[in-house]
Amino acid sequence: MSAQPYGLIATFDTAAAIYHAAETVRDAGYKKWDCITPCPVHGLDGAMGVKRSLVPRISLAGGITGFCTGMLMIWWTGAWNYKLIVGGKPLFSPMFAFPISYELTILFTAFATIGGMFLLNNLPMHYHPVLKYDHITRGLDDQFFVVIEAADMKFDAKATRALLEKAGGKNITELEH
Amino acid sequence: MSHAAEHTAEAPAILAEVKPAIVPRAVLVAHGRSFSWITEKICGIIEEKTPRWWWICFAVAGFVASWTVMGLTYLVATGVGVWGHHNPINWAWDIVNFVFWIGIGHAGTLISAILCLLRQKWRTSINRAAEAMTIFAVVCAAIFPVFHVGRIWFAVLPGWLFPFPNGNDIWQNFRSPLEWDVFAVSTYGTVSVLFWYVGLIPDLAILRDRFYAAGNKFRSSLYGLFAMGWRGSNRHWSNYEMAYMILAGISTPLVLSVHTIVSFDFAVSLIPGWHTTIFPPYFVAGAIFSGFGMVLTLMLPLRAVYKLEDLITQYHIDCMCKITLATGTMVGYAYAMEFFIAWYGSNPNEGFAFINRGFGHYAWAYWIMVTCNVITPQFFWFKKIRQNTALVWILSIFVNVGMWFERFVIIVTSLARDFLPSSWGYYSPSIVEIFTFFGTFGVFSVLFLLFIRFLPIMPMAELKAVTPEGDPHSGANAHH
Amino acid sequence: MSAPAANIPAANATHLPAASATRANCALYAGIAGLAATVIGLAVSGNVHAVAMSYLVGISYWTTIAIGMLMLVLIHHIFDAGWSVVIRRQFEHGLAAFKWLFVLFLPLVATAFIGGGDTVWPWMNPAHELLHGHGTVATDILYQKKGAFLNVPMFVGATLVFFAVWIWLSARLRKASFAQDTDGSAKWTTMNRKTAAFGIPMNALALTFAAIFWMKSLEYHWFSTMFGVWYFANCIRAALAFGVFIMVWLTARGDYRGILNKNHWHCIGTLGHAFVIFWAYVTFSQYFLIWNANVPEETFWYNLREHGDWYYIGMLILFGHFFVPFLYLLSFRRKSTASGLLPISIWIAGIILVDLCYNILPALKDAHGDPLPFFSLNLLWVAASVIGVGGICVWAYLRSFATSGAKLIPVRDPRITESLTYHE
Repeated sequence: MSAQPYGLIATFDTAAAIYHAAETVRDAGYKKWDCITPCPVHGLDGAMGVKRSLVPRISLAGGITGFCTGMLMIWWTGAWNYKLIVGGKPLFSPMFAFPISYELTILFTAFATIGGMFLLNNLPMHYHPVLKYDHITRGLDDQFFVVIEAADMKFDAKATRALLEKAGGKNITELEH
Repeated sequence: MSHAAEHTAEAPAILAEVKPAIVPRAVLVAHGRSFSWITEKICGIIEEKTPRWWWICFAVAGFVASWTVMGLTYLVATGVGVWGHHNPINWAWDIVNFVFWIGIGHAGTLISAILCLLRQKWRTSINRAAEAMTIFAVVCAAIFPVFHVGRIWFAVLPGWLFPFPNGNDIWQNFRSPLEWDVFAVSTYGTVSVLFWYVGLIPDLAILRDRFYAAGNKFRSSLYGLFAMGWRGSNRHWSNYEMAYMILAGISTPLVLSVHTIVSFDFAVSLIPGWHTTIFPPYFVAGAIFSGFGMVLTLMLPLRAVYKLEDLITQYHIDCMCKITLATGTMVGYAYAMEFFIAWYGSNPNEGFAFINRGFGHYAWAYWIMVTCNVITPQFFWFKKIRQNTALVWILSIFVNVGMWFERFVIIVTSLARDFLPSSWGYYSPSIVEIFTFFGTFGVFSVLFLLFIRFLPIMPMAELKAVTPEGDPHSGANAHH
Repeated sequence: MSAPAANIPAANATHLPAASATRANCALYAGIAGLAATVIGLAVSGNVHAVAMSYLVGISYWTTIAIGMLMLVLIHHIFDAGWSVVIRRQFEHGLAAFKWLFVLFLPLVATAFIGGGDTVWPWMNPAHELLHGHGTVATDILYQKKGAFLNVPMFVGATLVFFAVWIWLSARLRKASFAQDTDGSAKWTTMNRKTAAFGIPMNALALTFAAIFWMKSLEYHWFSTMFGVWYFANCIRAALAFGVFIMVWLTARGDYRGILNKNHWHCIGTLGHAFVIFWAYVTFSQYFLIWNANVPEETFWYNLREHGDWYYIGMLILFGHFFVPFLYLLSFRRKSTASGLLPISIWIAGIILVDLCYNILPALKDAHGDPLPFFSLNLLWVAASVIGVGGICVWAYLRSFATSGAKLIPVRDPRITESLTYHE
């Protein structure tokens, strides 16, 4: 009946507790694990060993695309496809093309940022073993969890449990898939 | 990983002399409320039965909103002539209302984005409602440029406004600020919704799980659909916080650019009183000023009704009043510069435009504007007044009245008296225009009431992050 | 914990007075040398107008930096800022330069009374000939209409008021801040906040009208309501660039070791980035609105600046003052380290000088009414006055740093611990 569990989950009561626990788990060399927190905890990225997010690069790509799209569209429509002199202004000038290009830069950056964030987070993922945990409402409310996956190379039912206990975790439970 | 000063053997001697005077920072969540208190308070508003006052407000708001619906239907069915426009004043209440509502929206983005970049943590209790206010204000604003053309089908489909090929094989006029407005307002609406939505994700997850635990599977799935499967993972928070910061970082130049482009509608022209280089930052400051007025108008009653004094503290109200004062002062600076340079520039038409504003046919509008915009915010210098919430609320209404009149004065007086006396005129709004405009307050209220009924009015995760319990270095307990 | 930084000179604390005294003297000598060169220039150059205008550039440059530092201190107080407490003291030392800037400005005021009066500002001399045979200033209707503002008594009075405002605000801020080091009383914080509350509008008006009188009136037919805001943007950018210089210098000397962390650099870098964007916004708006309306009474000012090599200077300012710093500062690494911020701050400090030249120097015209080229011997006089005035200002800063009795950082400021442990 007891198939390989997804992993172990441990409860912590304070942000400080999970911060130190994260450092412990990181230093022990685990790679496939996570912290569940109701709010972003300052410095927890470093405590977990998570690198700086890659979202900005995707945003920059979006922004550059937006700017070029704007300039190209205005140049092509006004100075190439259907040339019309309006108000004595030149057929194309970066001056009047700037406002729209600027707005498209921001629009495409926004799309790229959000799309990139979802992509990097693998969201939407409406089904996940952590969400099946009985006390998950507390995890988004006022408690902090550490989840270590069984798929991690260093995972060992007893050793990992002991590590979590040493770090101060309570209610250490097995998570099913 | 400690951020404190290095503890090397040669730590600077000066650090030993550090002994700060005690001037504590304001507490952002009063009475040391715990995480679970915050969750219960905010979710409680959604989970409880709809209160009676909400139904009454909703009915009134719906009734008022119907004026807009009727007014616009009549307009489209009959023609633009039902409004009071005539040569030379072809922009009047419609554009005033457009700029008015867009301006109000800007405070929401300022609170969400700019205060986020400035690391002002007090923004967390008001930013969700302010962002919602932005979106609904943009909806009300967008009504006017779309409908003021009369034959809206040309605007919307196939889109004379948007660069899709149309029946005449002609492209949009990208040299026109009105076309820039199309892109600016659409971008602003879209990015505001996206920013608001991204902020909502963790809170929607909380509601999803709470409704599921309470047995309400339908509502749980509805919130869950938009929660994207959020589970509070710190690896997700890492990307999320970065995305949030970037969105804040781009929303800031966005909000500045939107009202700048709106100001370009006037400033790129030649009309005296319109063509002046300070318009962009002047309009932006004015927009933020009016927006904060509206934020105060909305949040103070909400705070009283839902007993949110521990989350929107006197410090929050103080900060909002001070920003209103600061931006009102910037608007005052712009008035002074316009006036001075109109004199210094020695252009007789420009000089006349300003004399006419103060002493011509619309002098009554001008003096209402000056009183409301320059004098009213000065009351916020005084702590006693800032602490009297009823008075603050009344002053916030004056701020918005004043800013409506500012746009009216700029647009109508300059058009009514431009270069040649032979093209002078006088404008009065028609009944249709008046009801259409006041109806938009109903539209706004309907949307806002729906928001407070169904969505969390404050960002629970962000609030928790600014309490001592959310700080791993404070050692405080998250629930006590 | 990182390893202790290498190459920190040991026992630099004992060298503090001697080293800074030598450095201060160097600055003073450089200043005197620059000023002497300017005086020599007036005698031998054959174009007194050019030398005097260059001197205006030099003194405007350093006044820009000082006004920016004043504004940053005021903004720090009004925001009750946390991160900037550790560097605020250095800006306060910079404010010591104002009284010297006043003294150094007096020769320019004196030009109103020497010769015809139009050595620098043409409208000071009613008999000054306008270009293309259009009469004199006195017969110019566009002068007559603003004669109530543009006259010598108003100019002198206004200049006195500007410096009085700046010197008085600086004195209040310095007194409260330095006094708090000794008694740690909260009343100094209250005093600073009050100074900031009324000081910011006062400074805003002072810098606006200073820009109008000193720079815009050189071409008195032209007008722009945005000019004061443009000048404000440059003031802040200049002060931030010099703030970085001071931070780098004090870190290299060892004083700031253990005090500044990565986040302080990131904050000043981000603020610098924000003001790159703000400056571009303001400058673009001014240019664009004038370009679009295309009215000759406004466009002529920009047309003058497209003549000859001024066109390339304009392009340099567009790309160098906006695009290059903007793209450079997008990178997190470059914003948050001394090695990242130093090069771009040097660049920005240089381009601000070019921007001020762009605004001021085209008032020097040749016989045809075209502006004298940028690349000419005049640059020598610009350099002389920048070094001259700058040497005095740096000397004033170093003197305040070494002898005012104030500590390196405001050790008893209520937000000092927050600043020392600043994290994001």
